[in-house]
Amino acid sequence: MSDARLRRVQKEIKDCAKDKTSNISIDMIDESPFHLIGAFPGPPDTPYEGGYYEVDIAIPDAYPFQPVKMKFITKVYHPNVSSASGAICLDILKDAWSPVLTLKSTLISLQSLLCEPVPNDPQDAEVAKHYLADRNSFNATAKHWAQAYAQAPAHKKKNEPGKVATDAELAGLSEENVVGFTDMGFSRDQVISILKKLNYRGNNVNPQSYNAVLEELLK
Amino acid sequence: MSSDGDNDDFLYEDEYDDEFDQDDIDSTSEPDVYDAMSPAMEEAPQKKPYDVSWKVKTLQEIIDMQNKEITKVQSLLEVPASSAAILLRHYVWNSEKLQEQFWNDPAQALEAAGLSPPSSPTTHTSTQPTGVFECPICCMEYDYPSTYSMGCDHRFCKDCWIEYLSGKIKGEGESAKIQCMESGCKRIVREEIIDDLVTHDISKRYHNLLNAAFVADSPTLRWCPHPNCEYIIECSQAPTRMLNQLVPTVQCKCGDDLCFGCGYSASHRPVLCRIVKLWEKKCADDSETANWLQANTKECSKCQSTIEKNGGCNHMTCKKCKWEFCWVCMGPWSEHGTSWYQCNRFDEKSGIDARDTQAKSRASLERYLHYFNRWANHEHSAKLDAEFYQKTEKKMEQMQNSGNLSWIEVQFAKQAVDAVIKARITLKWSYCMAFYLKRNNMTELFEDNQRDLERAVENLGYLLEQNISDTDSIAKLRQDITNQAAYVQKRHDILMDDTLRGYLEVSYSAGDW
Repeated sequence: MSDARLRRVQKEIKDCAKDKTSNISIDMIDESPFHLIGAFPGPPDTPYEGGYYEVDIAIPDAYPFQPVKMKFITKVYHPNVSSASGAICLDILKDAWSPVLTLKSTLISLQSLLCEPVPNDPQDAEVAKHYLADRNSFNATAKHWAQAYAQAPAHKKKNEPGKVATDAELAGLSEENVVGFTDMGFSRDQVISILKKLNYRGNNVNPQSYNAVLEELLK
Repeated sequence: MSSDGDNDDFLYEDEYDDEFDQDDIDSTSEPDVYDAMSPAMEEAPQKKPYDVSWKVKTLQEIIDMQNKEITKVQSLLEVPASSAAILLRHYVWNSEKLQEQFWNDPAQALEAAGLSPPSSPTTHTSTQPTGVFECPICCMEYDYPSTYSMGCDHRFCKDCWIEYLSGKIKGEGESAKIQCMESGCKRIVREEIIDDLVTHDISKRYHNLLNAAFVADSPTLRWCPHPNCEYIIECSQAPTRMLNQLVPTVQCKCGDDLCFGCGYSASHRPVLCRIVKLWEKKCADDSETANWLQANTKECSKCQSTIEKNGGCNHMTCKKCKWEFCWVCMGPWSEHGTSWYQCNRFDEKSGIDARDTQAKSRASLERYLHYFNRWANHEHSAKLDAEFYQKTEKKMEQMQNSGNLSWIEVQFAKQAVDAVIKARITLKWSYCMAFYLKRNNMTELFEDNQRDLERAVENLGYLLEQNISDTDSIAKLRQDITNQAAYVQKRHDILMDDTLRGYLEVSYSAGDW
């Protein structure tokens, strides 16, 4: 069946190149047609708008009878995407895979995942907490990430920050809160990592969580 | 888990009245030539209130059981046999529930089970279009006879079907729940289609998986756990909810004991299945595998299958029973809703608990070792069974030669060895029980019984090791051994009776553990 796999992947790449309306691209990285890069623009009316997202695609031996393996190369701030590794939690990449799904349709699904996060089925728990606790602050952070990491106009370009966002903004924290603790003499990195972990945002900024942060800092 | 209990109620209600059938037990017990000829032969064991009755079935009987149900449903609901099978598997072989749902809304019942509604044709063979067809999976062109559709308007070439079905059966071990290849289509692939398409070997494996699923789905059936044994035990008197009061030890036709409750491949009386599991986990703590299992796996909170999480999110779906749960708190996923992040709080608390337990476990290690050493000692002694048998057989020959005793007259020695071995297995488990038993009056009684049995076993063991020097002493030795063996048997029965009856009368209540 390996020629069937090759034939199918080649056809998928060709079909995708022909299709100009979907704005989705699939390209080879090297000689192998089984390791590809997919890319799509961030969906409009979302914090990801204007960003350009690249996805690493690995085609397994039993494709299309086994699901394709995908993960984000571009850093994304999203409840269902690991902010560290780019791993994606999406049903069609696991149990709900069907052999009729294609690379293009899967990339379109990723695009709509950016529109509609599923915070109850999170890949990144910290991001999901942020999403549920304070939507405005989450949107702002996601936007900062999109500007910082996703503005690459073409592929195969390293993640270079487009606009300089502060470390607090990238962590979805208010500068005021961070400074409040750094003024006490704690290091900025430590404060940011603990505030992120304890979800010190929006309604969670209260005397009780303030004490929890202090306790954690003094450990 | 209350919903679980309710389910059990529903499934077992009518089977409780099953009458005890003495013939079944007789037919299952090991044919023993010695017993048949021995003058001191024991009567067939009397059924105690804590014993269960069971039947041993062959694979063919299991297949017949399924076919009988399928035929029944087939004629009642007027559907093809393969549809009846799919319906029954969907309703976990509960034909009453199936009929209720079916007559309530046939289309919905069929849909839920993954079948086409009755109005639409099941196959397109008669109205096949002509021309060429491009398979959406392999992108090759085929003429229509080389393609197949299940009647859900999703057509693919047969090569892709074969590849897909073979992968599902061989690679993922799926059987009854293989769906159409189209994304989101829930139509289940019928038996005859699979048999028709895949190779003989894979079709055989498919049917084995179906039978295994049938046995696994049925609370009254269990495979014999012994290697190379293909029998299946049927027992309707030991449902899960009874396992807090019952230790359903049964014997397979292969001659070995097993526990119907948990599948343990020997008798573990008088210890409850739950406790055996705890004990085994504890004892295996030292081994690397156990450490790995502990670090990387958890049990499905519904079917107890061991699960390794090798990536992805915390929303887990058990491959075996399709139960959806949260990996962090092991609670049902459905209850999580939007409060998913509560799991983190649970985590923090359990972190503190974990540290507490660690401190406690160091203190309890000594206590554990006390019981474990005694348990392991009996385990080891029981493993020397074969040697003990050989020694005794030699001794029996010696007695026949020097003491002018007949073959029948020396059988007492073998019976004594049997009694010792049986008692040792019980003693072994009694130490596990003692480890988990809370201190109260019942514990003292239990430990007295345990001590008496242990002493009796040691005495008998000592007598059996005695040398046979002259003919005069043989008669006395024989008398002593016979008496002591009877005493061991009696002490053994007392211990069993006290504990097993104790579970039923709730004097050793589950709360004590």
